[in-house]
Amino acid sequence: MKKHFREFSVAAALAFVLLGLAIFAPAFFQPQPLLSLLTREAPTLLVACGMAFVIISRQIDISVGSQFAVCSVCVGLLAAKGWSLPLVFIASVSMGAIMGAFNGCLVAGLRLPSIVVTLATMVTWREALRWQRQGEFVNLPDGLQWLGLSQVMGQWTLILAALVLLALLALATKHLSAGRFVYAVGTDAEAARLAGIRPQLTTFSVFVFMGALVGLAAMMNVVQSPQVDPKSGSGLELKVIAAAVVGGVAVSGGRGKLWGVFFGLLLLACISPALTHLHIEAYWEKAIQGAIILLAVVADGLRTRKQRN
Amino acid sequence: MHTAKQGFRAILLRHETILLFVVLLEWLYFNSVGPRFGSVDNTFDIMRHSVEIGLLALVMTPIILTGGIDLSVGSLLGLCAISFGKFWRDAGMPIPLAAACTIGIGALAGGLNATLITWLRLPPLIVTLGTFSLFRGLAEAITRGADTFTNFPASFLFLGQERWLGIPAQASSFILVSIGIWLLVHRTTFGRSFRAIGFAPEGTRYAGISVERRLAMAYVLAGIIAAVAAIIYTSRLGQAKADAGMGYELFAITAVVLGGTSIFGGIGTVHGTLLGVAAIAVLNNGLVHARQSREVAGMLTGLLLILALTSSIIPKMLASLKTRRQTLATKPIIT
Amino acid sequence: MKKIISLIVVAGLAFVSGCGKSNSSSGGSSNVTGGKKITVALMPKSKGNAYFISCKKGADKAANELGVDLVFDGPTDPDPAKQNEIVENWITLGVDAIAVACENREGISTALRKAKAKGIKVVTYDADALPNARDFFVNQATPEGIGYGLMDEAARLCGNEGEFAIITASLTAANMIEWQKYIEAHRADKYPNMKMIALRPCDDMKDKAQSEATALLSANPNLKCIMAICSPAVPGSAEAIKQAGKIGKVKLLGLGLPNENKRYVHDGVTDSVILWKTEDLGYLAVFAADALAKGDLKPGDKTIKAGPLGELQIEGDSILLGKPFIFNKSNIDQFDF
Repeated sequence: MKKHFREFSVAAALAFVLLGLAIFAPAFFQPQPLLSLLTREAPTLLVACGMAFVIISRQIDISVGSQFAVCSVCVGLLAAKGWSLPLVFIASVSMGAIMGAFNGCLVAGLRLPSIVVTLATMVTWREALRWQRQGEFVNLPDGLQWLGLSQVMGQWTLILAALVLLALLALATKHLSAGRFVYAVGTDAEAARLAGIRPQLTTFSVFVFMGALVGLAAMMNVVQSPQVDPKSGSGLELKVIAAAVVGGVAVSGGRGKLWGVFFGLLLLACISPALTHLHIEAYWEKAIQGAIILLAVVADGLRTRKQRN
Repeated sequence: MHTAKQGFRAILLRHETILLFVVLLEWLYFNSVGPRFGSVDNTFDIMRHSVEIGLLALVMTPIILTGGIDLSVGSLLGLCAISFGKFWRDAGMPIPLAAACTIGIGALAGGLNATLITWLRLPPLIVTLGTFSLFRGLAEAITRGADTFTNFPASFLFLGQERWLGIPAQASSFILVSIGIWLLVHRTTFGRSFRAIGFAPEGTRYAGISVERRLAMAYVLAGIIAAVAAIIYTSRLGQAKADAGMGYELFAITAVVLGGTSIFGGIGTVHGTLLGVAAIAVLNNGLVHARQSREVAGMLTGLLLILALTSSIIPKMLASLKTRRQTLATKPIIT
Repeated sequence: MKKIISLIVVAGLAFVSGCGKSNSSSGGSSNVTGGKKITVALMPKSKGNAYFISCKKGADKAANELGVDLVFDGPTDPDPAKQNEIVENWITLGVDAIAVACENREGISTALRKAKAKGIKVVTYDADALPNARDFFVNQATPEGIGYGLMDEAARLCGNEGEFAIITASLTAANMIEWQKYIEAHRADKYPNMKMIALRPCDDMKDKAQSEATALLSANPNLKCIMAICSPAVPGSAEAIKQAGKIGKVKLLGLGLPNENKRYVHDGVTDSVILWKTEDLGYLAVFAADALAKGDLKPGDKTIKAGPLGELQIEGDSILLGKPFIFNKSNIDQFDF
């Protein structure tokens, strides 16, 4: 309990919000809208998991939003060209992985600071996409939506896919050496190197993995509607970084649990619909989001301060 | 060893020198493409347009030197702009008093960042990510998004739109702040400790320097200057609204890093930052004269950033490669 | 090292200049005097917006027919200061006429007045600036017309009573705030039984609009109508209504492009999409700017002959494009933009 204080406190905060909603706005808990909400957040969860790995390895990636948009538009264009679903899927994931590898090369290969590298790639990808597409929507062919399944089936498929992936990743961090390498490198790269881990290779892989997850997430988002908006994914980087941090991932690297990230994301994802349900005016939304992020870190800061003294 | 030639080479290879060449190159190129690019009017336009981001970049420099970051400056600019409008229009304050109160708000907001970062020892990235939303959200909530403050008196608009002593009026305040921050960072022990903190915070603490107080000072300063930038912004546009300064934090950080300041702290100069601001401003302006669209400016900025980083890293890598080769060569002798 | 960097930068710039040559020939040296090519600078509210791309198609057509050198640029982010900077750049560049879709009324007027003082002709289109900052406004629809039109159509769909919600681009978007004002005024005046229950921003993104609409639908069981007043919000809300299984129970109308909405209009999710012919708007903006620069259009004129658009009325200083269209099942397939 003490070891996972942060994760439990986020879960408790989420429970608190849900309890409040149950009392003041029970309409929040209708099955269909709730299912929709979870489906909308399923792709974000994957990106947040990837971001958790990146932050645990003591790096950061703020280009994920732009990568997401590029992958989404690629999926749209390829599908419109008549590529079959599996091929489009592979293309999206590899597109993401390539962009991730680009970041990875610069960060791990040339040892450049990740925040600056990904700031540069964020701007570059986004502007290049706008230059090419000029903001036009891409209409998808029929049958791609919900992967050709019925709506409810499609929604469950996406949610389950995200959850299964989350579970696998959580297990992998615990039981696979590759997962533990990430923690080791994030805690102390030099010590990890002396222990026989190759820190640069680990960092590179983390970025490639992040990109691949973004590609997968983009695919999962695209199949939820019959059109692709080239603006999709803008602001995604801030959302997932906030989710990871609120969920207990330490920006100083080496610490964090995926299930904490899961609760962190759910907490943040609930805010906006919760405000709608509580009939609070939208003008306050950004301020409340900021306050929640601050509260989460302040709570943590107070606790560690007590321990220090 | 240290001949004059080598000293000259070292200066030539300095990041700031390379950047200066880049700015000059940009200038020459755009001057050859756009006949009116090099005119005095246009030069002043470049200055006027880059003052707000320039100010934010200037105060971001000490923060990044300490190894920190401040994502909230753009949002704070928005909050200060509408506070200024509120003080002037709704509270009926005269302009100077409203400006002073706005600067007070800026200092308070910077103080909030500083408190959370130093007292609770929270990571600046996350604290300012939270205040980034908070400040913008407050600006939107106070004005309900819609309220726009306009019809400022001409004497106030002078600051942002007219010329004073032959140069744009706001440029003089920019020059003043630049000199102030340059002196602070490069010529005072107080300012030099920013770099010490960036290099080794614990070591600095053991050296008897109050790390917390200095960190706090850097963030409060950022708040104050963000407020000044907000006032200049309001004067230049003749309006204040909750969306002022959106995304400016990224421009400021880009300029600082382009100017050779290490994002990990410890290394960097204020004049480098000024060159970074110039490189971006000239690029943005010049591409209009070269009839290029805005997207290209964004893409080239990204590219320039990666190039600048690579250029500073490659000599180091070559050097380390050389030492490694030497170690390898000496190895058999040791065993 | 320095050499390598300079080389790369030069190569980059050369690449850019190569691109530049393909779409501009005369540079900034054109002048009104001496019968040279006239340069018209056209600014959208933001880049990467399908609405303005469709305007640009019309503008390109006009530029080709009239032999005008067209510069098209605008801010990439919703930053109100960027429009001013670009206008000021154009002043130094020495263009002959500027046509702007204004994001921020007062702020942009500062820069436009400067342009006028330098003898540059200024036209606004899509959204107006302050009247003393421009020569003419190409008026596709007044904010009043749009607000009243949306409210009338919503009332018609709902049978004059019931709750409705608005999805907007952002809480600070100036023109949408203006429309909301007229929507509310018209509601209070004509339809007291209608009730506006929520206003949600979607950041100009379809995905966010879908999430917002989903929450609105479940939080307000009595909701009868969603009014989506920015273009990505219309398909976004439509998808939400479709997924919630409330087709027909909740009406949807909005301002959007026909191509983005055809599918939903045919499925009966979206009831009406209101818009004007955006290509004509772009055409007319460039046409009017060119006519002003040549001296063919002067203040006080009562009509303008705008090529294929025929003779258009001028009311005071606004050139009237004609009424907005209401697209629905019966006519949406006739339009492709």
